[in-house]
Parts: sequence; C-alpha cells; structure tokens
Amino acid sequence: MTTPAGVPSSSPRRTLWGQLGMPAVIVLMMVAFGSENPNFWSATNIANVSRQASTLALISIGQTFAILSAGIDLSVGSLLALVSVVCAQEMLRFGVAGGMIAGVLAGGLAGLVNGVLIAKARVPAFIATLGMLVAARGVALTLSGGLPVAGLPRAFLVVGAGYWGPFPIPTVIAAVAFALAHLVLSRTVFGRYVYAMGSNEEAAVLSGINVVKHKILVYVASGLFAGVAGVVLTSRVVSGQPTLGEVQELYSIAAVVIGGSKITGGVGGMGKTLMGVLVLAILSNGLNLIQVSSYVQNIVIGAIIVGAVYIDLARERRR
Amino acid sequence: MKRALVIPCLACLCGVVLAACGGKPASTSETTPGGGVRRQASGPEPGGEYPRPAKPSRSYTIGVVVPHLSNPHFVGQAYGYIDEAAALGAKVTLFEAGGYQYLDRQISQVEDLVASKVDAIILVAINGPGTSGAVERAVAAGIPVINCNVMTDSPHVVTRVRSDDEVIGRMQADFMGQTLNGKGNVVMLRGAPGTSWAEIRGNVFKKVMAEKYPGVRILGEQYSQSTPSDGLRLMEDFLQTYPDISGAYNGSDTTAIGAAQAILASGKRGTVVTATDFQVDTERFMREGLITATVLQQTVVIGRWGVRAAINHLEKRDVPTVLSTPLLLATKDSLDSIDMRGVRAPEGWKPPAR
Repeated sequence: MTTPAGVPSSSPRRTLWGQLGMPAVIVLMMVAFGSENPNFWSATNIANVSRQASTLALISIGQTFAILSAGIDLSVGSLLALVSVVCAQEMLRFGVAGGMIAGVLAGGLAGLVNGVLIAKARVPAFIATLGMLVAARGVALTLSGGLPVAGLPRAFLVVGAGYWGPFPIPTVIAAVAFALAHLVLSRTVFGRYVYAMGSNEEAAVLSGINVVKHKILVYVASGLFAGVAGVVLTSRVVSGQPTLGEVQELYSIAAVVIGGSKITGGVGGMGKTLMGVLVLAILSNGLNLIQVSSYVQNIVIGAIIVGAVYIDLARERRR
Repeated sequence: MKRALVIPCLACLCGVVLAACGGKPASTSETTPGGGVRRQASGPEPGGEYPRPAKPSRSYTIGVVVPHLSNPHFVGQAYGYIDEAAALGAKVTLFEAGGYQYLDRQISQVEDLVASKVDAIILVAINGPGTSGAVERAVAAGIPVINCNVMTDSPHVVTRVRSDDEVIGRMQADFMGQTLNGKGNVVMLRGAPGTSWAEIRGNVFKKVMAEKYPGVRILGEQYSQSTPSDGLRLMEDFLQTYPDISGAYNGSDTTAIGAAQAILASGKRGTVVTATDFQVDTERFMREGLITATVLQQTVVIGRWGVRAAINHLEKRDVPTVLSTPLLLATKDSLDSIDMRGVRAPEGWKPPAR
C-alpha cells in the first residue's frame, strides 16, 4: 500500500491476474450457465446478451471517464429517459437522422451543464449529477406529459433490432464506442489528463493542466455516451419513454468497480469496464435462463458487486 | 335485498371459477349503488366461460412475464398461471420486472425466454408501444405470444385476455355518478402513465361522467406510479388544492389505499372513493368505509384463461382474438357475499422462488 499507484500494475503477478482474472471468471460463469441450460450457448442468445449489454456498456464508458477523473456521474440513468423523449419527439418532427442527432446532443448538453457546475461552480460531482438525475427525469416527464412517445418510423427500429452481418447493431455501436474510448484514454493527452486529475488533482493543477476545461470535457463525454445509449434504447423500446433508465446509473458504477477500476479515481481503464459490463450482462441473462427468480438475482448481483471489490482490495493488501 | 344480490353474483362466479362445468350464463343484473353488486357480461359469450381444454399429450413450457409481483393483483394472476398450467401438465417460467418503470428489463426477459426456447410466452405488458418490438422478435422466432391483462400495441399476439377496461371505467363512473346523485367534484388518480389500463379506464370514466352526469365536475387528474405512497401524496395535494372534493376515482386500488389514508387524515370521511381490484388493505379500508366501491377483476381467471389460450393455440385449436373475463362491482355491504376464488390467490400462497 505504500507504493505509488503506478507501480503495482507493473508487477507480473498483478498483471497476470489483472489480465486474466476477470476473463476467467466470465468463462467460468458461461460454462456453468451453459451446462444448466444449453440454450445459453445458442447464437440467438449470444446476440441477445450482447444486445442487452449495449446500453449499460455505453453509459458505463461515460461513467469510467467520470470515475477515473475522481468524479462520478449519477445522472446517466435519467439522461436515458431525457434522451429517449427528445429523440422520439424530434424524430416525429425532423425524421430519423434529426431525431437521433437531437437525442445525442441532448445528452451532451446535459453533460455540459454537469461539467460547468462541477468544474466552474465547484459543486461536488456527486451533488451536481444527483441534481441532474432528478431534474432530467422531470424534464423527460414534462416534455412527454408522462406518456410514451409512439409512432416512430419503421426505419429507426433497425438501430435497436437490426444486424450488421451476424452482429446486432447495438453491439456494434457499443464495441466501436469501447474501442474509441480506449484509444482516447490510452493514446491522447486528454486521456493522460483524466488519470492525472484522478490521481492527484492538486498536482495536475500545479503541473499546468487546464483542469476546468478537461473536467468539463469528461462530463460532456459522459453525456454524449448516455445520448448514444438513449438513442439505441429508444429504438429497442420502439418509443420515447420518460420512465427509462431507473437505477441504471448505479449499475454503470457497479460495472466500473466490478471491472477493477478504483472508485476514488486515477486507476483503471476501459478494458476493465468492459469486463464489468460483461459480468453483469451475462449474470442477469444466465440467471434468467436457468430460471432464478428476479428477487434472488438482486441478492446475487449485490453480493458480486461487493465481492469483486473486496477481492481486489484483499489482493492489494497481501502484497 | 341481500338475497337478490347473492344469487346472480354466485351464479356468475361459479361460471367463471369452476372450469369445465359449463356454468350457465346468468342474465345481466344491475342494482342500485350502495346495494352493491353489478355484473357486466363480457365473456366469450356474455358472462360465459372459457373452458379448460383436454390435457395435451406433451408437456409444454410457458414463459410468463409480469410487471411486478408486489401487488396481490399479480400474485393472483401468478397463481392462476401456475395452477392452471399444473392442471394441464405444463411448466411455467415466471419473471417479474420489478415495477412499471423497468420496461428495458421486461424486454430483456422476453428475449431471454425466446433464447431459452419456451413453447409460448404470456406477456403482461409494462406499456403498449414499448413492448411491441420484443413481441415481434418473439413471433419472428416462432414463439407465439398471448397478451394478458395489460396490453401491448403489437398486433401480432394470438389473443388478448383481459377484463374490459372500458367496462371498468364505466362501472366506476356510474357508481360515482349515482352515489353523488349527479352532483359533486371529483379528482382522478389515474395510475401508471403509459399503461393501457390507466389510459382506457380514465378516459372512459371521464367520457361517461361528461355524458351522463354533467353535474359532476372533474377538478383535476394526475398520473403516478402505482404505489400507495404515490396515491397518498397525490390525494394530500388534491385535498390542499381543492377544499370541496366529494369523490376520488382511482385507476387501481393501489393508489386508492394511499388516497384513503390521506382522506382519513384530512377528516373528510364522506368522500366517495372508487377503485379497481382488491388487495388486503383495500378490503380493510372498504370495511372501514374509506374506500366506497371497487371493481373486482378476476385476476386468477385471467391467469387461467391465458394458459388455456396458450395450450389451445399450441394444440392447433382456434383461439378467439379477445377473451374478456367477467367483472364485479363490490361495496362494503356486498363483500361477504362474493366468492373470491377467481379474484385472489388462496391465502398464504406465494409465487415459487424456484
């Protein structure tokens, strides 16, 4: 624990577990579910799981940026609802492309508000995004009058239900987003700054990083990813829905920490988040397929969230 | 008086509950409000039965998806699905989404049932437009979908098993209008936004009020999640906003339970509260006179008929496109004369947790 944050990741033992631990757990889960219900391994179901995981994946990418920078974004769940309503309403007015762009922009705009509140007005991220969580749902309900926005064009449904070759389109979108976010985080200056802000904000300021600007960018990014997620989800539910996304923000946080990124920031990455998303998605699909009641599923998922973080901590302490 | 009510009521329930004994349709009877029981004929034949088919030679697996199980309404249905399936040698896989706000989870559950290749899916939709894509994917995968209780917008379902929400709205409106003698101020707690039941019942209630009881004014209406705490909050606010409320319509009894508590706290005991369904607290508040009347949906019957329709379809028999289960209107005075076997799960019954 006395070593600086960067050092443990270079130890071979850490690397081995860090690289293979989570994938091993996932494979184990898949083997177990598959042996209970062979349909788990069917092509339909694999497509199924990946399609179901796509929304969580997209908001978890945004959440990873926020958490790595030592912040948090509690608004992503509500943003799904806001984006869904805006996307559907504008789509009825301006067509498929117009609606999709409006939806993504709505997410980005909400993220900008979050970012300005956090970086400029110095409202703690937890509070600013908590406010947005409540307010965005209110805007969604107000815009829609509480009712689903129906009658979306047939062409739009492809986004949620269509295939690109053998891959469901939501899966492709999430995969591309993961790749993009990974590159941004590992190969760009912005990515390095996110880690720097998360490890030690004061040091980041002192070394001349424009923390205000980059913090705002972090939340804009989170909002934009929520925007894409909201558009995909809107297509999946064939309508604009002001009630979408409840508690999804908490699942996105769970995905990040199950993957092994530190909740306090500075340590982690997109690969880890991908693992976390897969664990949650495979778990809920697998438990459904082996017919575990949804009450019991909640207990299992709760235990896994805490358990995964505990194992990480225990490994660190042992060293 | 009492006797006059008991007989049609029992006749109706026997017809519904005792499967395959071919209860003879009784004639539609209406009594004055306060007197208690009215029934509306709306079966395959008026007041009729949808009989249990012969036990099929093979054992089918039926996936059942309901919005949640924290309301006896759905527990009653769950009992209907599971008990009827057992009688027909079928197996039920039951999923609940955790509430009307979890549309995405319900869609995943339907997809997971498709992936596990069940023979048929019975869907109680979280909302109309939101579920249509999932239904279409199931049907495209060759799995027939039976729609029960809360409707999906998809036209591709085998049949819709439901109590007629228009009739529920009309029964509440007529009771309200007549009990208020055609004069008064009413507020509406409509229920969960975007659900077919909240929409249709509320709209018909308003329409009948406007047409038949022009002396009754509707002061305000609100949607909310279908929970007692939402009902309590809404009714408290209504009572603050409008000092002279004489009646409160509730799309479901879940909000009525909260509304009754608000009314009790405000001391306005005479307020006419109408509802739909019959939870334990609903019964209690009816006996205490805080909920004036409730429309009883035969939730167990909805479950049974859903399974029968699924089996009939799987056995290549024709299924009517709509199956309307009968309704009853109950008041404090008529409660004890009603057979609850079609309305509620047996006391102490719990859905299996696997």
